[in-house]
Amino acid sequence: MATTQLNLTVRKPSNSVAVIDIHGEVTGAAETPLMSAYEEASHNGVRTVILNFSNLEYMNSSGIGLLVTLLIRVNRQKQRMFSYGLSDHYQQIFQLTRLNEAISIYPDETSALNAAG
Amino acid sequence: METTPKPNLWQRIFGGGKTGLGTESRSVPASSTADAPKPLPGTLLTLDLPPNDPLVAYFQSTPGVVELDKLNLDSPALRDLNKQGVKLVIPLVNQGELLGLMNLGNRLSDQDYSSDDRVLLNNLATQTAPAIRVAQLVRQQQLETQARERLEQELRIARLVQQTLLPQELPALEGWHIAAHYRPARSVGGDFYDFIRYNDGRLALVIGDVTDKGVPAALVMASTRATLRGVAFDYSSAQVGASEQHMTPGDVLARANDLICPDIPPKMFITCFYAILDPDTGLLQYANAGHDVPYVKRGNTFIELRARGMPLGLLPGMPYEVQELQLEPGDSILFYSDGLVEAHNPQREMFGFPRLSEYVASHPGGAALIEAVLEDLEIFTGPNWEQEDDVTLVTLQRATGAPNNVSNEMGVWKTLASFETPSGEGNEREVMTRVAEAAQGVLPAARMEQLKTAVAEATMNAMEHGNKNNPDIPVQVQVKASPQLLSVHITDQGGSVPIPDNPAPDLDLKLEGMQSPRGWGLFLIKQFVDEMNIVTDEKHHTLELIWHLDGKE
Repeated sequence: MATTQLNLTVRKPSNSVAVIDIHGEVTGAAETPLMSAYEEASHNGVRTVILNFSNLEYMNSSGIGLLVTLLIRVNRQKQRMFSYGLSDHYQQIFQLTRLNEAISIYPDETSALNAAG
Repeated sequence: METTPKPNLWQRIFGGGKTGLGTESRSVPASSTADAPKPLPGTLLTLDLPPNDPLVAYFQSTPGVVELDKLNLDSPALRDLNKQGVKLVIPLVNQGELLGLMNLGNRLSDQDYSSDDRVLLNNLATQTAPAIRVAQLVRQQQLETQARERLEQELRIARLVQQTLLPQELPALEGWHIAAHYRPARSVGGDFYDFIRYNDGRLALVIGDVTDKGVPAALVMASTRATLRGVAFDYSSAQVGASEQHMTPGDVLARANDLICPDIPPKMFITCFYAILDPDTGLLQYANAGHDVPYVKRGNTFIELRARGMPLGLLPGMPYEVQELQLEPGDSILFYSDGLVEAHNPQREMFGFPRLSEYVASHPGGAALIEAVLEDLEIFTGPNWEQEDDVTLVTLQRATGAPNNVSNEMGVWKTLASFETPSGEGNEREVMTRVAEAAQGVLPAARMEQLKTAVAEATMNAMEHGNKNNPDIPVQVQVKASPQLLSVHITDQGGSVPIPDNPAPDLDLKLEGMQSPRGWGLFLIKQFVDEMNIVTDEKHHTLELIWHLDGKE
């Protein structure tokens, strides 16, 4: 069995914004860590959750399924989800799946934070 | 409103106490009136009571005990009752419907009926009428259930006949891909398809549709299939000695028509398309007995396979025009039944030929086309569609380049990698990396990430759905290249289980919770390859992913 390599850290640059740094693989095996990272991130009135994909090594269709599940939760909490650091390939996947319409894509952390306000 | 009392219930009430209702009958013999016949206790009186007899209206409007002596009606039924010695009648009425009559003769004591008697009789009637009604409804329901069960049984038979006679496996022809899909309607129509191998290596493809549904259609389908096979094999064995006597598809249909005509039940007929493929040259000869015209996808256009001919079983001695088409590499034919084009959407519009032909022209061919057409049908009909007729789809595709052919018109194929990997969650990454290494320098670097995702997703599907993530069952991978194409074959061992027919993923539906968040795999593969074919045999699915190496995307 291949082991899934995924490390997630949660940062709070401000009271209303949380950043989840993704290191490694987003696959079906990422469900538990990703959901608990989101729980941690969305505490205390966080309005915007930003996913940092700069160190993403691999994401497959199950991982995309998890992002959709995450989005449903984010929508339910009336929060927003942004992203940055996506490679060209994964940006293309976001466009093909139309995930980019629900998770705005920014080139870097600064522009994502500015947009979060 | 139905007012004629039902004979079987008369029997139940007055027929000698078997049902428990009859014992309560107080029909008693008239003992004193000499000229009146004596009805036996608890017997059934036969009475002709047509709905237009004034007595019926009287009984319906007058609740309670009726003394016949006091009635002054011009009624044949009344005269009949009097003649049979009936003195009192208690109509059994429920919800305005006359269910029966309780008839009494004179009292044994010859005394008049007392008011207590009348009260008792009235009470009895008010309880009996609803009880009879309930019994009637129960009986009716039993009959309906029996009828329904009989129908279900017939449908099972029809389905069984159909499934037994449809090809259990698809013919394997080098350089050709054949795929088929049959989806019966609830009432099972008479669709069929068949493949017949001739001794000289050619292959006949047959698709047909019997008018009517259920068991009759299934039986006619079975005999038509047998007739066509018989005619074809006659020809096939005759071939060995007399090769110049070629029987064309038109000859086969004409012969079959003459054999079918005398035996087919009236008002039934069969539409049928019969094609013979020479797999070496790609020449397709065909004739058509009134079946929906198949489409050939060539590039981004379509060609109709038209040929004149009447459906089978209408008139003997009919001629069938023969046509032919030279199939080119990449060409893909879609044979289909009218259950597809005549499917209705909720607005009662038909799926129709224009939609289908456009769809064929603008989508990849082969098995992927079947899948795409079914998806489109689902979008068209909506989720609550009750399928009206069988839907049958068969595709025949000439491969762009036969990967197993050392030399062909597309050039020379070179194997870049060939290996197995045990199934298991996450193991797709190893396959992805090895295929990417093999394709290094062959596929433009700009498309490498697309290849990796397509290969990873195809491998995940093979491991998870095909091999159930069983580490003892490997996925086989082959990477080949010609000067024009890169081809990756990913083979699992789940051929007996069809590849799941997921709806096209739609993010909005997923976010609304109306579609599973998952189900992106096949979608991503299709986005990132130039062609995709699914080849299924008894044991395996092979997903063939193809990239064109001519620099165009």
